[in-house]
Amino acid sequence: MSLLVRLRALVALAVLVVVFSYLTPAFLTQGNLVMLAKHVALNAILALGMTFVVLSGGIDLSVGSIAGLAGMTAGWLLHDGLVLRPLGVVVYFSAPAVIGIGLLVGLAVGALNGLLVVRARVAPFIATLGTLYVARGAALLISGGATFPNLVGRADLGNTGFTLLGTGTLLKLPAPIWMMAALGMAFAFVAGRTPFGRRVYAVGDNERAAALVGIRVARVKLAVYMMSGFCAALTGLIIAAQLQAAHPATGATFELSAIAAVVLGGTSLSGGRGSVGGTLVGAFVIGVLNDGLVLLGVSEFWQIVIKGVVIVAAVVVDQLASRPGTGAVPGRQR
Amino acid sequence: MRRKSVRSGVAVLLVALAGIAGCRAAPPTKRLIAIVTPAHDNPFFKAEAEAADAAARALGYETLVLSHDDDASRQDQLVDSALAKGAAAIILDNAGADASVAAVRKAKEAGVPSFLIDRELNATGIATAQIVSNNYQGASLGAQEFVRLLGERGTYVELVGRESDTNAAIRSKGYGDVLRKYPDLVAAARVSANWSQTEAFQKMETILQGSRKIDGVLAGNDTMALGASAALLAAGLPKVIVVGFDGSPDAIAAIRRGEIRATVLQPAAPIARSAIEQADLFLRTGSTGRPEKQSVDCLLVTPENADRFGIFALKREAAGTGR
Repeated sequence: MSLLVRLRALVALAVLVVVFSYLTPAFLTQGNLVMLAKHVALNAILALGMTFVVLSGGIDLSVGSIAGLAGMTAGWLLHDGLVLRPLGVVVYFSAPAVIGIGLLVGLAVGALNGLLVVRARVAPFIATLGTLYVARGAALLISGGATFPNLVGRADLGNTGFTLLGTGTLLKLPAPIWMMAALGMAFAFVAGRTPFGRRVYAVGDNERAAALVGIRVARVKLAVYMMSGFCAALTGLIIAAQLQAAHPATGATFELSAIAAVVLGGTSLSGGRGSVGGTLVGAFVIGVLNDGLVLLGVSEFWQIVIKGVVIVAAVVVDQLASRPGTGAVPGRQR
Repeated sequence: MRRKSVRSGVAVLLVALAGIAGCRAAPPTKRLIAIVTPAHDNPFFKAEAEAADAAARALGYETLVLSHDDDASRQDQLVDSALAKGAAAIILDNAGADASVAAVRKAKEAGVPSFLIDRELNATGIATAQIVSNNYQGASLGAQEFVRLLGERGTYVELVGRESDTNAAIRSKGYGDVLRKYPDLVAAARVSANWSQTEAFQKMETILQGSRKIDGVLAGNDTMALGASAALLAAGLPKVIVVGFDGSPDAIAAIRRGEIRATVLQPAAPIARSAIEQADLFLRTGSTGRPEKQSVDCLLVTPENADRFGIFALKREAAGTGR
């Protein structure tokens, strides 16, 4: 099943690549493909975290807001520093510490999501819709709606280097691509080869059954929302580093692209079925559409329509493929 | 069966792509100008994008018209794409004065000049030109007309744009500097409606719940003016004087109907054309012959002169003769 689903996403990707290569010679060049991968990385990292949440039978609508909040936190610490009024001092953190704090913010909001779902028994859709608003409001509150400019840091404060997260390169490939690749491999390993991964699939497939065989469902759920929060914060930090500025509206509607990548990758929104590799392919399908349509000069309104059609078409194919009697068993684990 | 599913998937995707098959890129014989603006669902940005597009084509350029939807990250990616496609120049209405600096610098480092329109960048020496309408002068103009219509006395409400937007602050300052001189003008409320028609409608309704003794509404843009005007009409207060800012076709139509009394037109279309002319000059001669920061004065639109205005330009300008 998983193989077929993954093939389907790959076929879609191959078709898109062939079509765009035919339509515009600028598409299949090394420079463009590196750029494409760099653009895809943002949505892919968000979608990787989202994959575990969806596999566990949940959804995380707050990822875009968490990205914005993490970026604003980093911008604030780099730009203004942490003002300790009673002591009359301003503490500036080094770039790695700022990144660490940004990621902690993501983990914290993720934990809040998890606790709302597990302890307060709020439906994931509602819990994360709430944090979507709270995190966005918090991001706006940090600066009163303003942008933190010029995040290159100052040598005399010892906080330079943050922008490397977005603009640094290794072996001529931009940092975001490496982070996407590293997270992709790590998450694929976790999903496919570890007891934790099997528990996530089990919880998403049948929560009661999972609980009855001794899986601590609450822990699994808390963990997946924290993973998603971590990925979202990383995305927000990368964007702030790329733009060398932190804007409080960053990440608005990103959750929809991330969910689309997960679904395109063959992960079932009802949980228990899907794969990390599929999500990466799904993110590339969306990225190829985004950049390819721009290269072609297709009007922005048509771009939106075409994206919608591709997403729905992919899910229609998914439904046809998993219809009973076709040899595929819906809801079965990998 | 499996093979069939895959085949049907391919078929569906091909159908989806059929719509773009007609857009095959022409061989790159002409030089390319990328025109990047906020979303075209706002007539202001549509007008400036179309004016720039038409002017560039008239000068023999290919164009790539893109929209960043006020998302700085998306804008960054669009600039990448424009550079990858070999754009010779970029016309940009940017997605944030600070958040756009990196993207414009990237273009400059790639040897591609950027010509900013409508919104400034919080940095100089990176863009080749920044051509914006003079928001402060426009706001003074609107406020003076507002004062005249009110007879220099009364209670008014100011609707402010999005607080994080520089233009919102500049316009509000322009308004305030005029209104402050008239002690008989009393501000009943000063609230932000985030440039939004719906929000202006709701905030106006809320304000009217508190007091119906409002003589005038001075809005930071036309969409908020239209929202406030709708709320006032619904509340049975058609005589309240509403003044907007931008000169959108909707607002000019409302002025003709007498629902709004005046607006300040930002010459978006002439600015966009000027950016293309300067880009052309720069590409041919290496200089625009002008300073980087250029400001263009706004024009007052009233019921008397409303017929002279087209889409974000005086009508003879809209016809393409320019200045």
